[in-house]
Amino acid sequence: MADAVLLAQVQPARPVAQFVKLIPGVLLLAGVGYAGKLLEQNVWKYAKDHHWTFPNIEYVLWAILIGLAISNTVGIPQIFRAGVATYEFWLKAGIVLLGARFLLGDVLKLGGPTLALVLIEIVGAIAFMTLLGRVFGLKPKLATLLAVGSAVCGVSAIIATKGAIEADDEDSSFAIAAILALGALALFTFPLIGHSLHLSDHAYGVWSGLAVDNTAEAAAAGALYSDAAGKLAVLTKTTRNALIGFVVLAYAIYWASKGQAQAVGNKAAFLWQKFPKFVLGFLLISLLATLAVFNKEQIGALANLSRWAFLLTFAGVGLRTNFRQLAKQGLRPFAVGAIGEVLIAVFTLGLVYGAQRIFHW
Amino acid sequence: MSKGNEGALVTPRKRWLSLDTWAVLLAFALAALVRAGVFKHVPW
Repeated sequence: MADAVLLAQVQPARPVAQFVKLIPGVLLLAGVGYAGKLLEQNVWKYAKDHHWTFPNIEYVLWAILIGLAISNTVGIPQIFRAGVATYEFWLKAGIVLLGARFLLGDVLKLGGPTLALVLIEIVGAIAFMTLLGRVFGLKPKLATLLAVGSAVCGVSAIIATKGAIEADDEDSSFAIAAILALGALALFTFPLIGHSLHLSDHAYGVWSGLAVDNTAEAAAAGALYSDAAGKLAVLTKTTRNALIGFVVLAYAIYWASKGQAQAVGNKAAFLWQKFPKFVLGFLLISLLATLAVFNKEQIGALANLSRWAFLLTFAGVGLRTNFRQLAKQGLRPFAVGAIGEVLIAVFTLGLVYGAQRIFHW
Repeated sequence: MSKGNEGALVTPRKRWLSLDTWAVLLAFALAALVRAGVFKHVPW
């Protein structure tokens, strides 16, 4: 897992050689994702033909399970690792393309209440994690990384904050491991909780986007429930991602004031540097769809391209999750992360229930 | 990158464009191809 993060940061020596190195891993992502799609189509049909009782398991879950099986048994050979680490690239391209399925008016209409919920979630998550970090005696910078990871956007937020507050590599590995392990757990628990509480697609999608920290897992947790829930989960998570710069800037200023990080010079430049550019891409494609630049068939084609990009992402979620490596990172950060995430999940579920009543989702 | 590394003999190469920007460019290139009718139907 941490390997994948490190691989993503490797600077290219020669662009062509670097590109060629990605091909085996990308083909593995495509193979695992497509196998998930074939299993979705065929397993249920086979079970039905033979009069077996078998749930219709979505391709998302199949792709993740196949990836997990490979990663935790034979492992990922070196030749595939660089390409597997591109799963976040496909996620971001998929989110931009997904913008074609949202008219800008819908984004603004959904975005208002979602933004309010996201702001409350960020404040709540930072408060929970900071308090838990103190109770469990974690190093303050590790508690900061866990707080940012759970409040905003998982691994990207932790990496952005690590540089800004000059945290140790070990602390960021702990925080990333905790966030990823809990994200993997959410994939299996969230849909079950959503179904048992009879949450609407809208409410469940917003909940996944608020409570699941890493964008890939949030998108997967939403898509496991339904296509509509997947769309809402991505929109909510994208709103959280858009706020990453502000949270990282606040922490950078805080640690600089304590003399434990460099002062931030140009704050506007800092915000732009940390701002996830794919959010702008999503809004721009949404604007083009609103202006009827694409006809109905073209929007369908863009939506399907987005699904293929997500397919590679979901395969990557399974392939980069190695439970043995996660377990090596230690129990205390994981315990803080787990307790904090449960609190945040319950807290955001309460927020979504309230919003459901007010906005009639 | 921290200031401590700035004086190092070997300066790490800066990424030309961020991963985010590449993802946006790919998505827009695909959208342009769909708009131009190069990809008329994308199966799922």
